Amino acid sequence: MSNEEKDLEDLQKKKDLEAQSDQPSSQTSELKSDASTEPDARNEANQNPPTDTNKEMQDQSTNDSPTSKTEQEGATEPSHTSTTKSSKKPNEEPTSASSKDETNTEKTTAKKSDAQIDAQSDEKPERPKRPPRKRKKKDEEPKEEAPSPKQPQLESFVQVIEEHLGKNVLAENYINRLSKHIPTIVAKPEHYFQLAKFLKEHEELAFTYLSDIHGVDYETHMEVYVHLYSLTKNHSIALKVKVDRDNPTIDSLTPIWEGANWPESETYDLLGIQFTGHPDLKRILLGEDWKGHPLRKDYEPYDVEV
Amino acid sequence: MIGLAKGLKHTLKNMGKEKMSYSYPDEAIPLPDRFRGIQKFYPEKCIVCNQCANICPTDCITLTGKKNPDPERKGRIIETFDINFEICILCDFCTEVCPTNAIVMTNNFELAEYSRDELYKDLQWLDENDTNIRKEN
Amino acid sequence: MIRTEEMLLNVGPQHPSTHGVFRLILKIDGEIIKEATPVIGYLHRGTEKIAEDLQYTQIIPYTDRMDYLSAMTNNYVLCHAVETMIELEVPERAEYLRVLAMELGRIASHLVWYGTYLLDIGATSPFLYAFRDREHIINLLNELSGGRLTFNYMRIGGVKWDAPEGWIEKVKNFVPYMREQIEGYHELVTGNEIFKERAKGIGTYTKEDAIAHSLSGANLRCTGVNYDIRKVEPYSIYDRFDFQVVTREEGDAWARYECRMQEMEESLKIVEQAVEQFPESGPVLGKVPRIIRPPKGEAYVRIESPRGEIGCYIASDGKKEPYRLKFRRPSFYNLQILPKLLKGENMANLVAILGGVDIVLGEVDG
Repeated sequence: MSNEEKDLEDLQKKKDLEAQSDQPSSQTSELKSDASTEPDARNEANQNPPTDTNKEMQDQSTNDSPTSKTEQEGATEPSHTSTTKSSKKPNEEPTSASSKDETNTEKTTAKKSDAQIDAQSDEKPERPKRPPRKRKKKDEEPKEEAPSPKQPQLESFVQVIEEHLGKNVLAENYINRLSKHIPTIVAKPEHYFQLAKFLKEHEELAFTYLSDIHGVDYETHMEVYVHLYSLTKNHSIALKVKVDRDNPTIDSLTPIWEGANWPESETYDLLGIQFTGHPDLKRILLGEDWKGHPLRKDYEPYDVEV
Repeated sequence: MIGLAKGLKHTLKNMGKEKMSYSYPDEAIPLPDRFRGIQKFYPEKCIVCNQCANICPTDCITLTGKKNPDPERKGRIIETFDINFEICILCDFCTEVCPTNAIVMTNNFELAEYSRDELYKDLQWLDENDTNIRKEN
Repeated sequence: MIRTEEMLLNVGPQHPSTHGVFRLILKIDGEIIKEATPVIGYLHRGTEKIAEDLQYTQIIPYTDRMDYLSAMTNNYVLCHAVETMIELEVPERAEYLRVLAMELGRIASHLVWYGTYLLDIGATSPFLYAFRDREHIINLLNELSGGRLTFNYMRIGGVKWDAPEGWIEKVKNFVPYMREQIEGYHELVTGNEIFKERAKGIGTYTKEDAIAHSLSGANLRCTGVNYDIRKVEPYSIYDRFDFQVVTREEGDAWARYECRMQEMEESLKIVEQAVEQFPESGPVLGKVPRIIRPPKGEAYVRIESPRGEIGCYIASDGKKEPYRLKFRRPSFYNLQILPKLLKGENMANLVAILGGVDIVLGEVDG
């Protein structure tokens, strides 16, 4: 059952509920308090409209590149802090009666703002509170965040790489704030193998331990993500490379780290990325005669039962 | 040889200690109150909010409701409620999200049947399954 | 003249000593193994593809079933990844409960390893003693979470339930009992000459080999590399506890055995300290938004499971389901070194080496 079907079903039920119930549309208090104090234990899968609409509008406006990523994070972080830290009440479990009331009012607000999304209009006379939230988001976009504690590390890595390999090896580099501020570098596909070898062998970087290698299918391209760790210097780095989706080929890292053997086979098996130079690329998880690559977004399984 | 002798001494010492086996089919295993077993359903408490069907990770709950026949009371009452025990993993999410505690878990876990069709339990069976209901939900 | 030739032997998917559905195609010449090819994929359930349709909380029961012997650490890695992405604070009492659950799970997992390893080698009584003690731990965790093998206990932002009354006392009384039992295991097995012959010098690899093959856990620490994620990149509240990282130098099956036995004792130390420092009261679930939507981006976190380093990679595009979820499963990486270790060995050592690597097939295939 897809999420749209669930949404539609719930919409139907909410319409019924709303027709029968005569709860006042005390939306303003609901909008502020709805996502903050209710413990997750009670209503985990409720359709949550206010953050829903905001995130959807934001998703439509930003694209997938990492430069806008930090902006995106900067804009969404305050909303998260507001929802998670707004009230200081201790997290006690509400009684079932009060939660039922809240779910009923939740559903009325849910139904109304779902209808709002459907109608694609922002300003309506009976909803005066909606615009201030969007205005707040626009104001906060140019705000800067504190510099990351690992920024000097990233800069020293990039400097060493550019000294020895030249300036056009890296497509971009940034700090991934979501993932414990790890320095992330994106290599160009033709210099990928050379860069990985350099990362292992240079004595200042010394990334001798390969922690993970796998692929991700974005619909326009595919990416290979490699996470490296240095046992002697205790620092990590994430290395990514963009691969063309129609003919996904990239160099294999098995000659450098033996531990990349099976993970690359797994990536080939599930996503279809060919690794040149791999000693034994084969389908290890699915059988030899499986057609298709399941983890791709456009994979159609032959037998859809459930 | 000494290592082998020490090991043998340990084995012989353990022969006299308390046994940890349960003689299972003859006597019931002592289970704590929180054990996740088969669900018990109270149709009169259900408000047909569909939370349980939404949260189920394997989509094994299907339910339909109808308008309350009593003209004064609002809301809906439950008409059919099925759980497909072939795919239910007894994970306890449905009892966690139910706002009225209409679905709770018992401590029973014996579901073996002779045919697969009987594993698709309906409202009446789930209502009648009322031994060993657990107290903490 | 006797003519010998090589034979292809199939240690098939159904085999009592392969710890699951795992197939090895061996090319043997008499008793010596010339080449070994592992074939995996018999237990592939497509967890990563299924997770692209589920909300984050709904994925937690699926993680239980990956490495079914240490389900608490699997639960934790997913919750930790999501909590890192949305920068959520977990209450103190929940963190202590998590650490207690994970360390008890670690001891239980090592007990299964101990029992089955010695059973494969030929001894039957350690198996029964290990499972008897594991029953105590499983009962404790059953009282805490409601399940015996698949706990589904951790939630994003905390844990599901608080500890029931009297549970902490039981854990406190369990620690000295377990210490006595571990001494008993040493008495039973460690001095045993037959076991020494079967484990010393078997399945040796060097430190460079181990690092190149991305081994982790006791498989890496038995060669002398001091790498335990609980000390290197501390997560949760592990920096408040005082415990040692166990390393040995030789790199053979005996060193792995000693490492894991010592790790059980270190876990007991952590359990003891956690019980002492346990906060009196407090919430067990933090302030979580009703529907969890991590911001657009990706995150990769890793923790120390009994088998090695387990990692979880989440790529999210702002929706309530992950765009891509990937688990870095330790047994999958640890198993890559097997063909190299088996070359030139006797058939009898095959089982000793495979048992020492400590794989769980649910994790290898995922």
